[in-house]
Amino acid sequence: MIEFIVLMGIVVCFSGILALALNFQWGLGGMVNFGLAGFYALGAYSCALLMLKGGFNTFFAALGAMVIVGAVCGLVAFVTLRVTEEDYFAIVTLGVGEMLRLVALNEDWLTKGALGLTGIPRPLGATIPPTSYPYFMLALSIALVIACLWALNRLSRSPFGRVVRAVREDDVVAATLGKNVLWARVRIFAIGGVLIGLAGSLHAFYYQYIDPTQFSTIVIAYAFMAVIAGGRGAHLGTVLGAAVVMLLLEGSRFAKELVPLEADQLAAVRIIIIGVGLILLLIYRPHGFLREYRLQATLKEERPEPQPNTPKEAAT
Amino acid sequence: MKAKGFTRRNALKLLGAAAATPLTAPFLNLAHAQGATIPIGVALPMTGNAGAYGPDMGEAAKRTAERINKAGGILGGRKLELFIEDSESSASVAANLSQKFINVHRCQSLVGYWGTPEGMASRPIAIQNKVVLMVSSAANAITEGGSDGYVWRFQMKATDWGIVISRATEKLGFKSFGVMGLQNAFVLPIMRVFEERMTAGGRKVMDSLVYNPEQPSYRAEVERIFGKKPEAVYCFGLLPDFVSIIREVYRGGFDSKVVALSIMADAEGKFVQAVGPQVAEGIRHFQPMPDVSAPGYKRFLQLMGAPADRVLLFPPNTHDQIAMTALAMEKAKSPMAVDWSKQMIPVGNGPGEAVDDVLAGLEQLRSGKSINFQGAGSICDFTPNGDQLGRGMGQWIIKGGKQVFVEYARP
Repeated sequence: MIEFIVLMGIVVCFSGILALALNFQWGLGGMVNFGLAGFYALGAYSCALLMLKGGFNTFFAALGAMVIVGAVCGLVAFVTLRVTEEDYFAIVTLGVGEMLRLVALNEDWLTKGALGLTGIPRPLGATIPPTSYPYFMLALSIALVIACLWALNRLSRSPFGRVVRAVREDDVVAATLGKNVLWARVRIFAIGGVLIGLAGSLHAFYYQYIDPTQFSTIVIAYAFMAVIAGGRGAHLGTVLGAAVVMLLLEGSRFAKELVPLEADQLAAVRIIIIGVGLILLLIYRPHGFLREYRLQATLKEERPEPQPNTPKEAAT
Repeated sequence: MKAKGFTRRNALKLLGAAAATPLTAPFLNLAHAQGATIPIGVALPMTGNAGAYGPDMGEAAKRTAERINKAGGILGGRKLELFIEDSESSASVAANLSQKFINVHRCQSLVGYWGTPEGMASRPIAIQNKVVLMVSSAANAITEGGSDGYVWRFQMKATDWGIVISRATEKLGFKSFGVMGLQNAFVLPIMRVFEERMTAGGRKVMDSLVYNPEQPSYRAEVERIFGKKPEAVYCFGLLPDFVSIIREVYRGGFDSKVVALSIMADAEGKFVQAVGPQVAEGIRHFQPMPDVSAPGYKRFLQLMGAPADRVLLFPPNTHDQIAMTALAMEKAKSPMAVDWSKQMIPVGNGPGEAVDDVLAGLEQLRSGKSINFQGAGSICDFTPNGDQLGRGMGQWIIKGGKQVFVEYARP
């Protein structure tokens, strides 16, 4: 059991990083990314191909994947937003994402098409014995999640973070104040892309086999669920959201062992449980688990004035 | 205090509680999972694009295990315990399931795995953990590249499908062809072999293309292939794409003969239901199938409570996977895959007395005799790298909305 929890912990970590990327692009920067699955596939395939065909080691392959996805995301944002509005950008990401997936499916010479890439090496896979490898990978993944959280928190509290939020709230105001909105958006999308590249690399390391079916649209749905459940704009909340989504997906497999139903009925019931769980969450927790750090402050200000005879509450 | 909201502390408390809940479930049955019973993981597509095939396979697995258990189990009275899970027709879900089977339920045998992606994603996990993986998928790559005897295919290899279809085509006497194949790991080897054999035999492949799944329309593809007026068009893919292709063909009024696979043109009757008997008229289709005259298959139909003329394509393989697990464990006198994976070939290929019933086989093995197991889905002979031998292919033609059986052939 403990091994399984460790392995699922790794999955939570890389889906958490993917959700963090979406949270930065959409939650904080207001740029909807419907092509997330395609960019995620690009990250995983870049990392795997850099190792298998380019002879890179795992570290530089992951780094390369981050650079590639970051650059592609930046380019997509630059080319699109130069000529069009933000709303159309969502459609462009959808198209680019689908394009990337179709390239992975059809370019046999490079990606082996529908068969997928096998035998993907792992960081220190040769030196660490297989029995203890999951623990190492979990530690590595947690460290990377913490690093991402730290970097994103620093970033969103910096002057650039204020620009990011300003662009989300009202790009005309931001432009009036002398901010270069296009450049800010290109950077937002590229930074998100770097994180998507990292998540994709971890996905490739974990499964050691990638094929186009792993990057279907459901990946986008799960990432959006994680961001919405965690609280749009809240980085830590997003990681919690990713954990809850995984808990619903995998935990419901255990819950169903207690229900006396046929296997195929259970499969359907399980998916209903996941849906109901998320609907309940949105009804009772429409803002998600945690608030964006700037909004936390406004929340406190909005509270009713404490009664003068309860001075302790005022301190909270 | 509504405005207080959902604090970080509360969120963490809730998460902790939620995380702890599923932990209790496995401990409830951990005691017997490790001791008396033999856990077997069964990953089947219950939802997703292959969702039509999982339920019957699950039923076959359950009935086979029940039958063995009722007769006293294996290894001196230990019962088989199945963990049937939905693979959602997805590679990453199947990989997570394999981890669950191995690490939570301590399974030494993983069976089911209908689609190629599911098998490919679980392959490295099974080999690393030294656990046997029995797949139902056709793509050659599943058994390629050294699996240390842990990966076994209960299906005909994709290139063999191509060989049987080519040979049957030579008999049908078509001279010119168009070929359309779905972008899919098991389709491409079939296409390659078919085209090579046709060209080598002096026949003309006029055009060939690979199409993508889940397109709303295949008009461009249909017009390109059928527009060249080949005598026959061979289509390799799955049900949803074939339905839209055939509608375009009918609408366009093309008169080339159409040849397909039964998972497309029959699919348990779903194809004729979808397009109607008039459109389906005259379509020929092929599919690896059990030898319906074999006693093992007849006994399996009784076990499933199915009518005697019913052709079940995949459930007999699932039956054989469970049966081979039980037989190999009994022969090795061990529930550990490191021991019994080496007994797959001795039990399946012989030498020994041919046995077509798993209970009789277990009986013989207990009395120290060697057996050559003949399953429900095939004769259960294997090559050393895990490919199944001796499964044949059926050919049907649709006439008046009915599937008319033509012939059965082996590669």
